[in-house]
Amino acid sequence: MTRAIWSVVAQAFRRAAPPLGWYYAVTLALPVANGAAQTGAPFVEHAAVVLVLPPALIVLACATRTIARVLRRAEQA
Amino acid sequence: MKTKLCVVTVVVLAVWAMKRYYANARADDLWWILTPTARLAGAITGTAFAMTPGEGYFSPERLFLIEKSCAGINFMIAAFGMVTFALLHRVGSGLSGARVLAMSLSASYSATVLVNSARIAIAMRLAAHSVAVSTLSPVQVHRVEGIVVYFGGLMLLYELVQRCDRAAAARCGQ
Repeated sequence: MTRAIWSVVAQAFRRAAPPLGWYYAVTLALPVANGAAQTGAPFVEHAAVVLVLPPALIVLACATRTIARVLRRAEQA
Repeated sequence: MKTKLCVVTVVVLAVWAMKRYYANARADDLWWILTPTARLAGAITGTAFAMTPGEGYFSPERLFLIEKSCAGINFMIAAFGMVTFALLHRVGSGLSGARVLAMSLSASYSATVLVNSARIAIAMRLAAHSVAVSTLSPVQVHRVEGIVVYFGGLMLLYELVQRCDRAAAARCGQ
Protein backbone atom coordinates (compact mmCIF):
# COMPACT_ATOMS: atom_id res chain seq x y z
CA MET A 1 0.00 0.00 0.00
CA THR A 2 2.78 2.44 0.98
CA ARG A 3 4.69 1.54 -2.18
CA ALA A 4 1.55 2.17 -4.24
CA ILE A 5 1.10 5.61 -2.68
CA TRP A 6 4.74 6.54 -3.32
CA SER A 7 4.41 5.32 -6.88
CA VAL A 8 1.43 7.65 -7.40
CA VAL A 9 3.34 10.56 -5.81
CA ALA A 10 6.44 9.87 -7.93
CA GLN A 11 4.31 9.72 -11.08
CA ALA A 12 2.65 13.02 -10.15
CA PHE A 13 6.04 14.67 -9.64
CA ARG A 14 7.28 13.39 -13.00
CA ARG A 15 4.16 14.82 -14.64
CA ALA A 16 4.48 18.13 -12.79
CA ALA A 17 8.22 18.49 -13.45
CA PRO A 18 7.99 21.00 -16.36
CA PRO A 19 5.58 23.44 -14.62
CA LEU A 20 7.50 23.04 -11.35
CA GLY A 21 10.85 23.60 -13.09
CA TRP A 22 9.67 26.73 -14.91
CA TYR A 23 7.99 28.05 -11.76
CA TYR A 24 11.21 27.64 -9.76
CA ALA A 25 13.29 29.08 -12.60
CA VAL A 26 11.26 32.31 -12.76
CA THR A 27 10.52 32.76 -9.05
CA LEU A 28 13.86 31.59 -7.60
CA ALA A 29 16.67 31.07 -10.12
CA LEU A 30 16.26 34.35 -12.05
CA PRO A 31 15.93 36.54 -8.90
CA VAL A 32 19.00 34.81 -7.40
CA ALA A 33 20.90 35.44 -10.64
CA ASN A 34 19.88 39.11 -10.43
CA GLY A 35 21.22 39.38 -6.88
CA ALA A 36 17.93 39.16 -4.95
CA ALA A 37 19.57 36.80 -2.43
CA GLN A 38 21.67 39.75 -1.22
CA THR A 39 18.56 41.22 0.45
CA GLY A 40 18.95 38.46 3.06
CA ALA A 41 16.15 37.33 5.36
CA PRO A 42 13.12 38.63 3.35
CA PHE A 43 14.23 36.74 0.25
CA VAL A 44 15.12 33.61 2.24
CA GLU A 45 11.65 33.60 3.83
CA HIS A 46 10.00 34.16 0.44
CA ALA A 47 12.18 31.48 -1.19
CA ALA A 48 11.37 28.94 1.53
CA VAL A 49 7.62 29.37 0.98
CA VAL A 50 8.02 29.26 -2.81
CA LEU A 51 10.18 26.14 -2.55
CA VAL A 52 7.96 24.17 -0.16
CA LEU A 53 4.41 25.05 -1.17
CA PRO A 54 4.20 23.67 -4.76
CA PRO A 55 5.49 20.15 -3.84
CA ALA A 56 3.14 20.19 -0.84
CA LEU A 57 0.27 21.02 -3.21
CA ILE A 58 1.24 18.11 -5.48
CA VAL A 59 1.27 15.68 -2.53
CA LEU A 60 -2.05 17.09 -1.31
CA ALA A 61 -3.60 16.66 -4.77
CA CYS A 62 -2.31 13.05 -4.88
CA ALA A 63 -3.73 12.30 -1.43
CA THR A 64 -7.11 13.80 -2.34
CA ARG A 65 -7.22 11.85 -5.59
CA THR A 66 -6.22 8.56 -3.90
CA ILE A 67 -8.78 8.99 -1.11
CA ALA A 68 -11.51 9.81 -3.65
CA ARG A 69 -10.58 6.70 -5.66
CA VAL A 70 -10.64 4.46 -2.56
CA LEU A 71 -14.00 5.88 -1.50
CA ARG A 72 -15.43 5.35 -5.00
CA ARG A 73 -14.25 1.74 -5.03
CA ALA A 74 -15.69 1.15 -1.55
CA GLU A 75 -19.00 2.58 -2.73
CA GLN A 76 -19.06 0.30 -5.79
CA ALA A 77 -18.17 -2.83 -3.76
CA MET B 1 17.88 19.88 -34.56
CA LYS B 2 19.26 23.22 -35.76
CA THR B 3 15.76 24.73 -35.90
CA LYS B 4 15.00 23.47 -32.39
CA LEU B 5 18.19 25.09 -31.16
CA CYS B 6 17.09 28.36 -32.82
CA VAL B 7 13.71 28.15 -31.07
CA VAL B 8 15.39 27.49 -27.69
CA THR B 9 17.68 30.50 -28.31
CA VAL B 10 14.67 32.68 -29.14
CA VAL B 11 12.96 31.54 -25.89
CA VAL B 12 16.04 32.32 -23.77
CA LEU B 13 16.43 35.76 -25.41
CA ALA B 14 12.68 36.47 -25.07
CA VAL B 15 12.74 35.54 -21.36
CA TRP B 16 15.75 37.80 -20.82
CA ALA B 17 14.15 40.66 -22.80
CA MET B 18 10.82 40.34 -20.97
CA LYS B 19 12.59 40.40 -17.61
CA ARG B 20 14.56 43.52 -18.62
CA TYR B 21 11.43 45.21 -19.98
CA TYR B 22 9.48 44.38 -16.81
CA ALA B 23 12.25 45.69 -14.54
CA ASN B 24 12.26 49.10 -16.26
CA ALA B 25 8.55 49.38 -17.15
CA ARG B 26 6.12 51.71 -15.39
CA ALA B 27 2.52 50.71 -14.73
CA ASP B 28 1.43 52.80 -17.74
CA ASP B 29 3.76 50.81 -20.03
CA LEU B 30 2.02 47.57 -18.99
CA TRP B 31 -1.42 48.67 -20.28
CA TRP B 32 -1.43 45.71 -22.73
CA ILE B 33 -1.71 43.26 -19.83
CA LEU B 34 -3.14 45.39 -17.00
CA THR B 35 -6.15 46.63 -19.02
CA PRO B 36 -7.64 43.18 -19.91
CA THR B 37 -6.76 41.89 -16.42
CA ALA B 38 -8.49 44.81 -14.69
CA ARG B 39 -11.53 44.44 -16.96
CA LEU B 40 -11.83 40.69 -16.33
CA ALA B 41 -11.18 40.98 -12.58
CA GLY B 42 -13.75 43.78 -12.50
CA ALA B 43 -16.29 41.63 -14.36
CA ILE B 44 -15.71 38.67 -11.99
CA THR B 45 -16.02 40.75 -8.82
CA GLY B 46 -18.52 43.34 -10.08
CA THR B 47 -16.05 46.13 -9.38
CA ALA B 48 -15.23 49.14 -11.54
CA PHE B 49 -11.50 49.80 -11.96
CA ALA B 50 -10.30 53.15 -13.29
CA MET B 51 -6.91 53.83 -14.80
CA THR B 52 -4.77 55.99 -12.50
CA PRO B 53 -1.79 57.38 -14.45
CA GLY B 54 1.52 56.15 -13.07
CA GLU B 55 -0.09 53.73 -10.61
CA GLY B 56 -2.27 51.22 -12.42
CA TYR B 57 -5.97 50.40 -12.10
CA PHE B 58 -7.72 51.54 -8.93
CA SER B 59 -11.10 50.73 -7.45
CA PRO B 60 -12.20 53.57 -5.12
CA GLU B 61 -15.12 51.55 -3.71
CA ARG B 62 -12.94 48.54 -2.75
CA LEU B 63 -9.73 50.53 -2.17
CA PHE B 64 -7.87 48.01 -4.32
CA LEU B 65 -5.01 48.86 -6.67
CA ILE B 66 -3.87 46.64 -9.53
CA GLU B 67 -0.31 47.89 -9.86
CA LYS B 68 2.80 46.90 -11.80
CA SER B 69 3.68 43.96 -9.53
CA CYS B 70 0.15 42.55 -10.09
CA ALA B 71 0.68 42.33 -13.86
CA GLY B 72 1.64 38.64 -13.80
CA ILE B 73 4.65 39.09 -16.09
CA ASN B 74 6.64 36.41 -14.24
CA PHE B 75 3.76 33.97 -14.74
CA MET B 76 3.66 34.87 -18.43
CA ILE B 77 7.40 34.26 -18.77
CA ALA B 78 7.13 30.85 -17.04
CA ALA B 79 4.08 29.92 -19.13
CA PHE B 80 5.75 31.00 -22.38
CA GLY B 81 8.88 28.93 -21.70
CA MET B 82 6.92 25.94 -20.47
CA VAL B 83 4.50 25.83 -23.43
CA THR B 84 7.31 26.29 -25.97
CA PHE B 85 9.32 23.42 -24.47
CA ALA B 86 6.18 21.23 -24.28
CA LEU B 87 5.64 21.79 -28.03
CA LEU B 88 9.32 21.69 -29.04
CA HIS B 89 8.96 18.19 -30.52
CA ARG B 90 6.64 19.74 -33.15
CA VAL B 91 9.41 21.98 -34.49
CA GLY B 92 10.80 20.63 -37.74
CA SER B 93 11.14 23.65 -39.98
CA GLY B 94 11.40 27.40 -39.64
CA LEU B 95 7.67 27.76 -40.25
CA SER B 96 6.71 25.19 -37.62
CA GLY B 97 9.13 26.85 -35.20
CA ALA B 98 7.49 30.23 -35.76
CA ARG B 99 4.07 28.61 -35.35
CA VAL B 100 5.08 27.03 -32.02
CA LEU B 101 6.49 30.36 -30.78
CA ALA B 102 3.32 32.23 -31.83
CA MET B 103 1.09 29.61 -30.19
CA SER B 104 3.15 29.71 -27.01
CA LEU B 105 3.01 33.49 -26.88
CA SER B 106 -0.76 33.67 -27.37
CA ALA B 107 -1.39 30.79 -24.93
CA SER B 108 0.82 32.35 -22.26
CA TYR B 109 -0.77 35.79 -22.71
CA SER B 110 -4.35 34.42 -22.50
CA ALA B 111 -3.49 32.20 -19.53
CA THR B 112 -1.86 35.15 -17.74
CA VAL B 113 -4.94 37.35 -18.11
CA LEU B 114 -7.26 34.53 -16.96
CA VAL B 115 -5.15 33.23 -14.04
CA ASN B 116 -4.15 36.70 -12.87
CA SER B 117 -7.74 37.95 -12.93
CA ALA B 118 -8.77 34.92 -10.85
CA ARG B 119 -5.91 35.61 -8.43
CA ILE B 120 -6.93 39.28 -8.08
CA ALA B 121 -10.61 38.32 -7.59
CA ILE B 122 -9.62 35.85 -4.83
CA ALA B 123 -7.28 38.43 -3.25
CA MET B 124 -10.10 40.99 -3.20
CA ARG B 125 -12.40 38.47 -1.56
CA LEU B 126 -9.75 37.55 1.01
CA ALA B 127 -9.11 41.23 1.73
CA ALA B 128 -12.82 41.94 2.16
CA HIS B 129 -13.46 38.95 4.44
CA SER B 130 -10.42 38.79 6.71
CA VAL B 131 -9.49 35.12 6.69
CA ALA B 132 -9.45 33.40 10.07
CA VAL B 133 -5.94 32.04 9.79
CA SER B 134 -4.51 33.37 13.02
CA THR B 135 -0.92 32.26 12.38
CA LEU B 136 -0.62 34.03 9.00
CA SER B 137 -0.47 37.78 8.43
CA PRO B 138 -2.45 39.32 5.52
CA VAL B 139 0.81 39.64 3.56
CA GLN B 140 1.58 35.93 4.08
CA VAL B 141 -1.98 34.96 3.09
CA HIS B 142 -1.56 37.05 -0.10
CA ARG B 143 1.78 35.34 -0.83
CA VAL B 144 0.38 31.82 -0.28
CA GLU B 145 -2.65 32.65 -2.43
CA GLY B 146 -0.37 33.90 -5.22
CA ILE B 147 1.76 30.74 -5.16
CA VAL B 148 -1.26 28.43 -5.11
CA VAL B 149 -3.06 30.23 -7.96
CA TYR B 150 0.01 30.77 -10.16
CA PHE B 151 1.42 27.26 -9.73
CA GLY B 152 -2.07 25.74 -10.12
CA GLY B 153 -2.51 27.85 -13.26
CA LEU B 154 0.79 26.59 -14.70
CA MET B 155 -0.22 22.98 -13.96
CA LEU B 156 -3.63 23.45 -15.62
CA LEU B 157 -2.06 25.16 -18.66
CA TYR B 158 0.48 22.33 -19.02
CA GLU B 159 -2.27 19.67 -18.84
CA LEU B 160 -4.34 21.59 -21.40
CA VAL B 161 -1.40 21.93 -23.80
CA GLN B 162 -0.56 18.21 -23.42
CA ARG B 163 -4.16 17.20 -24.13
CA CYS B 164 -4.44 19.49 -27.16
CA ASP B 165 -1.10 18.19 -28.43
CA ARG B 166 -2.19 14.54 -28.04
CA ALA B 167 -5.53 15.30 -29.73
CA ALA B 168 -3.76 17.04 -32.63
CA ALA B 169 -1.34 14.10 -32.96
CA ALA B 170 -4.24 11.62 -33.00
CA ARG B 171 -6.03 13.67 -35.70
CA CYS B 172 -2.91 13.70 -37.85
CA GLY B 173 -2.40 9.96 -37.25
CA GLN B 174 1.11 10.53 -35.88
